[in-house]
Amino acid sequence: MQRALAYGAFTAVIAFLLGYFGETWMGWVLFYIGLSVHLAMHYRNFSRLERWSHKPVLDASLEGDGEWDAVFRRLYRHEKELLEKIEHRERDIARLIAAVHAMNDGIVLLDGEFRIQFCNKTAERQLDIDSSTDRGAAIANIVRQPRFIDYLGKGDFTRPLVLRLDRYFERVLSLYLIAYAEDHWLLQVKDITQTDRLDSMRRDFVANVSHELRTPLTVLSGFVETLQEIELDADSRRHYLQLMGEQSQRMQSIVQDLLTLSSIESAPPPEDQPVDMASLVDKLYRDAVALSAGRHDIRLDSDGQGDLLGAESELVSALANLVANAVRYTPAGGTITLIWKISAEGAEFAVQDTGIGIDPKHIPRLTERFYRVDRGRSRDAGGTGLGLAIVKHSLNRHQATLEITSKPGEGSRFATRFPASRVTGL
Amino acid sequence: MPDSLHVSSQFDEDLARLRTHVLQMGGLVETQISSAIDAYSTGEVASVKSIIETDRKVNDLEKAIDDDCAHIIAKRQPTASDLRLVLGISKIVTDLERAGDEAKKIAKGVRRIYEAGHMPTQYGVGIRHLAEAALTMVRQALDAFARLDGKLALSVIRADEDVDVEFKSIIRQLITHMMEDPRTITTSIDIISISRAIERIGDHAKNISEQVVFVVEGRDIRHDKEAIK
Repeated sequence: MQRALAYGAFTAVIAFLLGYFGETWMGWVLFYIGLSVHLAMHYRNFSRLERWSHKPVLDASLEGDGEWDAVFRRLYRHEKELLEKIEHRERDIARLIAAVHAMNDGIVLLDGEFRIQFCNKTAERQLDIDSSTDRGAAIANIVRQPRFIDYLGKGDFTRPLVLRLDRYFERVLSLYLIAYAEDHWLLQVKDITQTDRLDSMRRDFVANVSHELRTPLTVLSGFVETLQEIELDADSRRHYLQLMGEQSQRMQSIVQDLLTLSSIESAPPPEDQPVDMASLVDKLYRDAVALSAGRHDIRLDSDGQGDLLGAESELVSALANLVANAVRYTPAGGTITLIWKISAEGAEFAVQDTGIGIDPKHIPRLTERFYRVDRGRSRDAGGTGLGLAIVKHSLNRHQATLEITSKPGEGSRFATRFPASRVTGL
Repeated sequence: MPDSLHVSSQFDEDLARLRTHVLQMGGLVETQISSAIDAYSTGEVASVKSIIETDRKVNDLEKAIDDDCAHIIAKRQPTASDLRLVLGISKIVTDLERAGDEAKKIAKGVRRIYEAGHMPTQYGVGIRHLAEAALTMVRQALDAFARLDGKLALSVIRADEDVDVEFKSIIRQLITHMMEDPRTITTSIDIISISRAIERIGDHAKNISEQVVFVVEGRDIRHDKEAIK
């Protein structure tokens, strides 16, 4: 600023001196020319600024003369800071959006009329929203479940809405509608399929346990009443007492199995001790022969070597269970084969029978507690409905898998596979 | 003129509300169909009653939407794509209502079978598959309408052929069963009428999709085999 003023004053002084000592008109001409040059310089810089202001981008070539240069430099710096700030903000926003997309819960932002404004990836998957086409569309157009529309209509969002969707596969979603900012809504979608399934499993389990225990209990108390009220001869008495004994035995074995199951579940991992499989398989074979009492043709196909690392008692109970099942569900005259093989991938113990077989739809559920293909038959055979659940748990603890293949009417094969890391003593 | 802007945005709102009502009706019909299928495979006859009750709501909505369409045409005199939308909607609701009626038919058939003490599930896999295909068609037709997506609508129209083929194979299978064992005839006839209803639902979904193509692209592709390729 001072320099511009100094230039003006300097021109005026020179012109005054020239006018005073020389011709007056020469002084005026000089003054005029001096100011014009000054004005032209300002005009040039002003037009640069004017041009730039139409499209204010960060331009390093924006340079001025004299005093103007300082102004341009400050503008340049200001613009640069602004751009950096904007970039910073944009990065922040992008990161926030990425975080919202990465959430496990679905998030849909709605305006006051419940139109979709934003929707994260999870919500797209859960509700089949397509962000590219559905932005601005009413959410009721996309999620058309009558219950959801009622929920939106009622306007009471204090409780979440639990919605069952069966598109592609069954899902249970819990939807919360939360008001935010002014007249905007945030729809939070939680996938509770798993919890819902666990809940129903727990309910089923309690119902099953009660049912399983109540049945023998009803029989028991019936007999107790009969014995109290009616005079019976010694033979009937003995017969009744024997039936009562069977029922209480049954209850005991159910409770025993439940305890076993819960102790396996909560116990620390088994201590690894080498278990001599040759003698174990041999013992299983002898047990099978004894249990079958000559009704079946029992064969042994063992390569007789190798030890398994694990807890012997758990392994024996799991494998014996499979063998006992085969004997139980194979009609007289059938063949049962016990197979023990070791390969590079690991070891396999399998029980193959020519029994009644299992319908494929039951196979995935066989290891569920109290799941029975045929209630009556299983109970007649003395099963508690917990055997395979225990087997599966014990095997899991040894990183082993249980593979069931079966054809109704032709027989079943229960194969347990142990990883190579558990095989020693070769 | 600010005044005309206001009027036209009011009109836009009317059209948006009309579409939402159609989709709301569609949602009810979807639910009817899927609970009818569930009733078939689980034998829970209790849901039959709610399917029939929903039908009343669907009928009311159909009447209300038709009324709205007439009002919009009379009051706003829509042209071009707006007119196509209103005309398309008045046809779509008819098909939706019929699809709902078919769902009711399925539900009643299921109730007859179970009340007679039979189990329809022995043919369950085929029927379930057929029903799921038809339900997917209805869903996609409604999605296509919600998103005004002509391509999706065309794919629904093409899917109808698969449903027809599957329907025929189920009928053939049932005929074999009836010839082998005449005792199954009563149940089989009920199952035939159920699968017929499912096949009709597929046809309605196809009709809806044809209207969607009409609304979006302005061409009438009904009864035109070339147009859908």
